[in-house]
Amino acid sequence: MRALHMGTITNRNVLFNFERPPNRNMSKTYGLIATFGNTHSLYQAAEEICEAGFRHWDVYSPFPVHGLEGAMGLPRSKVPTFTLIGGVTGFITGMLIAWYMGEFDFPLVVGGKPYFSPIFPFPVAYEMTILLASFGAFFGMFITNRLPRHHHPVMDFKKWPGITDDQFLILLEARDEKFDLDETRKFLETLKSLEVVELKE
Amino acid sequence: MSVDTANPPMEAVASTGGNKDLATRALIVGLVGLGIALIGLMQGWRAGDSRPMLGWMIGVSYWLTMGIGMLFLLMILYVFDAGWSVIVRRQLEHALSGFKWVGLIFLPLIALSFFYPQNDAVPWIWMDPANITPGGEPVGGDILHQKKSGFLNVGFFTFRTIFYFAVWIGLAGILRRCSFTMEKDGDPKWARLAHNVSAVGIYLCALCATFAAVDWFKSLEYHWFSTMYGVWFFAESMRAGLAGTMVLCWILATRGYLKGIYNRYHSYLLACLMLAFTVFWAYISFSQYFLIYNANIPEETFWYNIREMNFDGTKNSWWWVSMGLVFAHFLFPFLYLLWYHNKFDRRALFIAVWILVFHSLDIYWNILPGQIPSDENILGFVVRPFVPHWVDFFTWLGVGGICVWSFILSSRKVKHIPIRDPRIVESLNAHE
Repeated sequence: MRALHMGTITNRNVLFNFERPPNRNMSKTYGLIATFGNTHSLYQAAEEICEAGFRHWDVYSPFPVHGLEGAMGLPRSKVPTFTLIGGVTGFITGMLIAWYMGEFDFPLVVGGKPYFSPIFPFPVAYEMTILLASFGAFFGMFITNRLPRHHHPVMDFKKWPGITDDQFLILLEARDEKFDLDETRKFLETLKSLEVVELKE
Repeated sequence: MSVDTANPPMEAVASTGGNKDLATRALIVGLVGLGIALIGLMQGWRAGDSRPMLGWMIGVSYWLTMGIGMLFLLMILYVFDAGWSVIVRRQLEHALSGFKWVGLIFLPLIALSFFYPQNDAVPWIWMDPANITPGGEPVGGDILHQKKSGFLNVGFFTFRTIFYFAVWIGLAGILRRCSFTMEKDGDPKWARLAHNVSAVGIYLCALCATFAAVDWFKSLEYHWFSTMYGVWFFAESMRAGLAGTMVLCWILATRGYLKGIYNRYHSYLLACLMLAFTVFWAYISFSQYFLIYNANIPEETFWYNIREMNFDGTKNSWWWVSMGLVFAHFLFPFLYLLWYHNKFDRRALFIAVWILVFHSLDIYWNILPGQIPSDENILGFVVRPFVPHWVDFFTWLGVGGICVWSFILSSRKVKHIPIRDPRIVESLNAHE
């Protein structure tokens, strides 16, 4: 990054650490990466890995592959739950604000209406519903994706920048119960992958 | 979701045979239902009772709003060049074939009112200057009618109603013609033409629907005014149209010619639209209530008061209907449709039928309550109670039968899905 600031090196290989010397601590296996040349083999591989019962793994692709989440056996996103909780909280909060102010904090007759009724503060509760529901959706997405995260070991893979272009990867993490370096490597090699590379941490 | 390439059974696409037996039965049900309702209408006409005429209007409006919703939906899908909906669109086109019949069935109301506005059975009391308004004053001496009479007079009213139907039937006819001709010559220029017609048609249809709601429903209480009323009519029409489309597609997909063609994703998107318009309906209905409640002006609030309480403040029958609308027509479908799994198969069918049931309640709620002049109490009127009448039911049944018959007849004329539409492949392979 320092080189970039100085404006002397513009080669993106430096930016992405293509030729980075091995870290002294990089000895532990993080996982195995299999690369694929097209979406068909990627899709089939995802199906087979899912069937084999792996749980800690992910697929990287430059563009969305329709139906891939089904092939991977992923459940539906949990984000709507956050949205719903946010919305309900917002509605109750809005109503409670109006109720507390009207009944206790500052009772005032406005236009002959009662101190509290669920009708006139409805826009307040409604806006609070929308606000907190959007917060729920926004932060729910961050929480379920475990964001913000600035670095991931898969970014050390030398062909990593290619996944924004023409590379399809599958990463099986070593923490998976079914993971065995040699066995899993053999398994991945049977899946029409172009190459299987070990990823150090 | 898996990538499932649709594999339509080709013989189902190629054949254009509808169910002849069902068509005949639907026609018989329609004619018998309308015949019985017509007897009630004539009885009411002789007795000077407006309830059968209101019942006729309720029965026709139930299907008419659904048709208007479907027409809007059809044009919206064209304008947005929607790809997923092509197979659904053809079903809408068939359903819209019933528009001319619904127009014909609406005709007695307009014809009778046009020729005999003095009859007490005419539900629009402003048509006869001798009619008494609540409070004892005749319509002719009512300044509020005098100021509105440039718009609200029998001749212009009749002309407008004919104009609305001409626009709806014309738009439905042009869009059907475009789609069906493309089936024959395969020229994509018809899709472009339909797109352009829809772009203009949405405006025309919106204006007609707004003014129709004002003329037919709102002018029943001509003292009242609300700028939200046309939007309510649009929202309710869209809800009925979408729910009707959902039921129609479900029937065709399980026991009709859409088997293996109509998939989960089509159902999902229709249900998403149902959710959107459920929220929209609640939004504008509540806005209308909220503004009138907050302003608290008697000229406006009376319309809600007669839908809530008797002269002494006790709840009348309409209060329960109102609560039914709030909780059963909005809250339950809203919460139900939030859930992803409720947007498919039988669960989606259930909520569509549910909305169609409460659609009738909304029609009742907007048409039926009215002030009947009376000396019984200090206000000078009583409110017509929520009591379903057999004319409502038989008109509803009759128009429904005619619509089903018209749909089946139309579905025999062309292929069940528009196989030469430029976006047909996209629609067949539609998936999440």
